[in-house]
Amino acid sequence: MSVEHDVKPMMPARAAAPRRPYRIPRSANTQIVLIVILVLWELGVRLGHVPVYVLPPPSTVILRIFHDWRLIIFQTWVTTTEVVIGFGLSIVVSIPLAAVLFQWRWLEESLYPMLVASQTIPKVAIAPLMVVWFGFGLAPKVLIAFLICFFPIVVDSLIGFRSVPKEVMWLARSTGASKWNTFWKIQIPAALPSIFAGIKVASTLAVVGAVVGEFVGSDTGLGYQLIVANGTIDVQLSFAVIVVLSALGIVLFGLVELAERLLLPWHISQRRVRNNNKSRKYRK
Amino acid sequence: MSLAVDLSHVSMVYETETGSVHALDDISFSVETGEFLAILGPSGCGKSTLLALISGLEFPTEGSIRVADRPVSRPVTDVGIVFQTDVLLDWRRVLGNVLLQIELRGGDVAAFKTRARELLRMVGLFDFEHKYPYELSGGMRQRVAICRALIHDPPLLLMDEPFGALDALTREKMVLELHRIWYQTRKSVAFVTHDIQEAVFLADRVLVMTPRPGQIAEIAKIDIPHPRQPAARSSPEFLAIAAHLRDLFVNAGVL
Repeated sequence: MSVEHDVKPMMPARAAAPRRPYRIPRSANTQIVLIVILVLWELGVRLGHVPVYVLPPPSTVILRIFHDWRLIIFQTWVTTTEVVIGFGLSIVVSIPLAAVLFQWRWLEESLYPMLVASQTIPKVAIAPLMVVWFGFGLAPKVLIAFLICFFPIVVDSLIGFRSVPKEVMWLARSTGASKWNTFWKIQIPAALPSIFAGIKVASTLAVVGAVVGEFVGSDTGLGYQLIVANGTIDVQLSFAVIVVLSALGIVLFGLVELAERLLLPWHISQRRVRNNNKSRKYRK
Repeated sequence: MSLAVDLSHVSMVYETETGSVHALDDISFSVETGEFLAILGPSGCGKSTLLALISGLEFPTEGSIRVADRPVSRPVTDVGIVFQTDVLLDWRRVLGNVLLQIELRGGDVAAFKTRARELLRMVGLFDFEHKYPYELSGGMRQRVAICRALIHDPPLLLMDEPFGALDALTREKMVLELHRIWYQTRKSVAFVTHDIQEAVFLADRVLVMTPRPGQIAEIAKIDIPHPRQPAARSSPEFLAIAAHLRDLFVNAGVL
């Protein structure tokens, strides 16, 4: 017997592709949109004579970043440290916690509602308390970043662990595999896509957490710098800090995506590149 | 002949929020060692419940079940199971999916690699061992699932509508292939299906079930000699028995 029969697509050999006019690659769309917005902004502000303390043209914001690079780098370093520690801590705590909750149903039933309830408390509201409890140093910022990241990772991990079809569990039981073995070989890998979804959401929140911490009590960090810049109506510096903050968030998100791509080459969200030829046909 | 599976007066009642569901009612039958038994019935007649009972995942409300002459009191492990969906693990390549069976059993994975490759060759997937499941067609994936069910050489195979999700042509091909595998290995098989043709072509005996509560309408012996060729489908015996089974469903009000 041969296998090819049910794989070989039933269509005539492809004729030479028709020559198409040059098109801008789809991947460049985002950059183009961004550039258009920046150009409009620049032109609008300059032609409309908008004062710099209301809305500075983007070119001056970029120049300001280069001009104050020592300050910016220092503050970025402070904030990055808080973000990375808080975010890292949330990953290290949330996934095992989700695993524990998943293994012991009664524990989940008693703890999960409390987790949800605790999540409804706005982190911004308890940030000042953190200052009271932990002072003005690194700790309160890390804690707020941690608290804000923690919940999406726990919830998504739990969903992931539960995503294993019952037939797979049936199969596992028919092998006499231990609970631990089943968890390690089946439930954890099955949960990874979901866990990564949670981590991605958390990665964007981590920066918010650290900045909130800096807002309420700090003398360093990008959040502190933002408060200072606003206080002196130095809108240019405010924008510069905001640009750096969002760059920080993007880098963090990108790193998580990179890790996902390396760890989950099999997952549907990562198959883009390999299936490109196929999907192109159906796209118009 | 010893019995691979033996059910005696098995009834199954599920308690649900909307009342109790009588899934199986007084079922008695056996699978002889080396026999291919097809369990044929309309959907919802408790066919899959039967397999869950045989594999020790669920326990009957009444009656007793023996597998390999031992009463079933916990999940049976001397068994290979194939489901309607292939349930391959997306993150494992073909070879890894076949070897999962050995890994979960705590066996020596390296020692089984050769056998895994032999099985893949037998089903025509030798060149595909390094592919991920998503790179395979439905029929190929189900073949991998069959290899996974065979690698530990279980004496008993439980198959729950294994070709139900495949297109008609692939399905016919897979039926031929399964028949060949069974003919070579002579394992005891309990094969659940709702396809009359499939049941008659593959089985030594066809157990016909009625709609819920599932009861045995008839156990029909199929006397077409092995190995069966595709042409057997149009032989007079085949057509006669298929017509007879269809009549059973007509009388039961299913058709």
